[in-house]
Order: sequence, then C-alpha cells, then structure tokens
Amino acid sequence: MSEQIREQVSAFLDGELPASETELLLKRLTRDMELRERFGRYALIGEAMRGATHAHLTRGFTVRVNAAIDGEPGIAAPAAGQAQRAPRWWRPLAGAAVAASVAVVAVVGLQRHASLPVTAAVTSTINRPPAPPAAAAPARTREAISYTVPAALADVPAALPAARLTSYVFAHSKYSSLLEQRDVLSGLIGGGDDSPPPAMTVPVLQQAPAADSRIAP
Amino acid sequence: MTKPTRHRAAWLIPCTLIGALLATASKPGRAADDPQAWLQKMNRALATRNYDGTFFHLSEGRVETMRVVHRVRAGRVTERLLSLDGSGREFVSNDGELTCYLPDKRTIFVEPRRDGGPFLGSLPQFGAGVNEYYRIEALPEARVLGRAVHVIAVNPLDQFRFGYRLWLDRETAMPLKTQLCDSHGQVIEQILFAKLAMPETIPDSDLTPAVRTAGMRWVRQGASPASAPAGLAVFRAIELPPGFRLTVAGAQTLGGASVPATHLVYSDGLATVSVFVEAEHESPPGGDANAGVGAEAPMQGLGRVGSGFAFSTVVQGHQVTAVGEVPAQTVEFIAHSVRSYGGGDLSRH
Repeated sequence: MSEQIREQVSAFLDGELPASETELLLKRLTRDMELRERFGRYALIGEAMRGATHAHLTRGFTVRVNAAIDGEPGIAAPAAGQAQRAPRWWRPLAGAAVAASVAVVAVVGLQRHASLPVTAAVTSTINRPPAPPAAAAPARTREAISYTVPAALADVPAALPAARLTSYVFAHSKYSSLLEQRDVLSGLIGGGDDSPPPAMTVPVLQQAPAADSRIAP
Repeated sequence: MTKPTRHRAAWLIPCTLIGALLATASKPGRAADDPQAWLQKMNRALATRNYDGTFFHLSEGRVETMRVVHRVRAGRVTERLLSLDGSGREFVSNDGELTCYLPDKRTIFVEPRRDGGPFLGSLPQFGAGVNEYYRIEALPEARVLGRAVHVIAVNPLDQFRFGYRLWLDRETAMPLKTQLCDSHGQVIEQILFAKLAMPETIPDSDLTPAVRTAGMRWVRQGASPASAPAGLAVFRAIELPPGFRLTVAGAQTLGGASVPATHLVYSDGLATVSVFVEAEHESPPGGDANAGVGAEAPMQGLGRVGSGFAFSTVVQGHQVTAVGEVPAQTVEFIAHSVRSYGGGDLSRH
C-alpha cells in the first residue's frame, strides 16, 4: 500500500481530501475488499483518537479495553496478534500498533455489551475454520468482531428463521424514522457475495430467558 | 448550551424529566444554532431534496460502499439504494412499493408502502417528547468532504435506546456523516458520504435497478390495512420501556404466510420497535413460552438485525417477535410483555 493511499485515507477521514482525489480513493475502495476493511478499522481508530469532541466515547473505549484484557484473554489475544501482523503502512496511520488492537478489542467489547442479556456468551473465534493465509489478518479481524454467540449453539432448539426475520424487517422498516431506516436497509443490503445480508444470517444468541431475568422497568 | 454537566447529573438520578425541561427552556433565542432546528432541517432535506450520493456503511467491522439516489418530482418520491461492492443488491422504492433485489439469493422482496409516501419513512419527531429520553446537543463544528458541518449529538438518557451523532452540511443540512451509538457513546454503526450531489433533475435511468430478474423468486408481502381485521386476536404489550407508546396497530400478511400477522409499532418519538404476533399453528393453543416444540418449532431468542435486534418468544400459543434499531434489552422487554388484550385467550374465534 502506498504512502499516497495512506495519506488519502487520512485526509478523507479528516474531511479535507479534494473531490477529485476522493473519487479515486472511492474507486480503489470499491474494488479492493481488503483495503476497505483496513479503511474501516482506521475509521474506527480515527473516532477513538479524535477524542476532543468525544470524551465519553474515549472513556467507553478504555473501560471496554480494560475489561477485555483483564477478563477475556481469548478475546484480547487474537486482537493483539492482529495488530502485530498489520501491514507496515497501517501502523503510522494508527499512530501506534497498539491503537489498532485497542480498536479491535473495543468492538469486541461493544458486541459483548450489546448482547448483555446473553448468558455465558463467548466470542466465536474458536470453532471457525482457519482463514486462507494470504487473507488471514483481515479475515480474522472480521470474524472476531462480527458475532457473539453462545458456547453451545448446537443445543439451541430453533433459530430465528432468516426468511421470516427478513419479512419482519421489511414490514418494520416503513415505520422507522429516516435515520433508522437507512441503517436498517443498509444493514440488509450489505454483505458481499460470500455472505448473506445480516438479517438473513442472524445467529441466535440465546434461548428465551427465564421469566426472572426480565429487566425491571 | 452550557449545561452538559448538569444534564449528566440529571441522568444519574431519576430526574430526567426535569433535565429535559431545563434543556427545553434553555433553547429559545438561539434559533440559528439550535440543534433541534437543525435536525428538522435535515429531515426536510432528506425527504424533499434530490440527491445522488455514495457512502460507506461501517458496521460490525465491515465496510460496504453504497449509492443512494433520491428524487422528488411532482410530489412523488423515488429512491434507489444499491451496493457497489459486487453483490448487486438493491432497494428501489416507488409507486407505493419497496422492492428489494437480492440477486445473490435469487430473491426479490416486495413490500407495500403507505400511499407512496417517502421511502425513508415517517419523519422522526424531534419534539418535546424526545427531550425526555434524549439529550440533544451541538458539538464543536467540523469538516466533512471539505465542507463545514454542524455536529449534533442525540444522546439517549437510558439504555433502552440508541443515540446518534450527525454531521450536517451547513449549507444543505444533509447528513454527510452519521453514527449510531449506544448509551455509552460507543459507535455501533457509521455512514460516511464520499460524495454527494444534489442535482436539479435525476434521470429515470439512475433510478432503474440493474438487476436481471429472470428466474428469480418473488416474495410479495400483503398490504397493511390501517387496522386489524375483525376476528384476529388483539395483542398489546402490557408494559413498556420508559417513553415508548403504541403508534400503529394493524395486520399484514408476511412473506409466504396464509394468515395475517398482527403488527404493532411502538415508538419513543425517535426509536421504533415493531412487534409481530402470529398464530403458532403446530402448537397447542394456550401453551406457554416453553411449549410447542412441534414440526414447526417456535422461534426463541435473540438475533441481530443490522445494527438492531430481534427477540422472539411464544406467548399464549402465539409467536411474538419484536424487531427494532434498539438495544437487545428493549426488544426483549417488549416481546415478553405482549399479551392478548384483556388477558383472555381470544385466538380461537
């Protein structure tokens, strides 16, 4: 990856890349999935480092990173390994390789947090087939931060069927707000050839909890 | 706009209502920078302007490149949203229908829209009610795409809803960048425009799907009447997270189903949750959440839907699923609280 692209990405995320160069960058990103994934990670890191306007965001990152490192070696380890394998051009972008691992772990933390009611959830990096060596770094990152599923997924009696959920999501989308709807539809439409849209691959995170796990109003 | 710390304190004690009233009271007289006014401007721009933009959608560590084309002509809105990353997936909305082309799945979904209204749905009302559950504030100005933007944060005051950060173009009020955040300010999802044009006219060709539909499976969802047909059991959530109220109650035939499902919509003024109630044909009526593992096993549990969640359970022999761009606990709370109206079993009419 050239210094030029690195600078372009940086300038774009700072909102200062000229339109003509943005067009070029866009073309590259559209063509190159690996570059897109790096771009995505950098965008996340950028958010963490633009701390001035997002003091609470930065605090959130720190808390989650600490929690992940203290309590979840299975999550923190692959993320750190990922940072070491990051391409050279990536490191100056991040400021430090550590920052890259911070962002990755933070997303894992987010996923775990987002599924708070889940009991005994673990990040599902263990049973996945190894990625092809060439694409190992981005693929692993992607897997590691994508899903949180229960350890004993096989024991769950029935999944939320993808087709039915998709029907629900469509029916729901027309009542969502402008902001929500773009998120919902973008989420549905997203996903490359290799993966169905998120709403069609919804992993079941848990069985229905016992009545006493209800959230108090 | 000098009260963020005070608001933070209000958030910690059960005085959010007072905090919201203070926030409202502090706003008049600052109309030019009033973040709430900017949110209204954004809504107007999104609904009424022509635009053609390419954006990155960042979610769960993935980046998708997408294009959105939006045209308003003679009061009619046509919109197209497509993936540029090779899957060929597209949404096109016009003439009261939303069509989703999934060529890689060889499937096309068609969903009726109300009276051909704006594709992007009903406008969120950033009204007084919203101030009880969100704190809306202006952040320091910034630049996106080389343009000056207002930055506005819509912070949820509890964990039952997500918030937003929006970078609104000072000239057009179009959101050049948006983030969906949880109640800790953690970014869940981000949309970042790489280019955005606002042309006077947009040709039909830019709104025509590029998908070859031959041999694809069409799934057509039924129309959604304004009210549930007579004879369908009446279901409601008997308890709701703070601020949510019923905004729509109807019924709709979904996917390939033969019987309409009850569709309830709950909203806090910004976030919406849909609840679908369907009869479980294979299950004995009146079964509880753990009964009815028949040929067609009931759905149970929590799933991710885009950046939101779906939660499904069985209530009084009916499949109840709550779906929304809200935290997991919100869909779970609402789904668990659904009961047939009046507490009786009205399903065997």
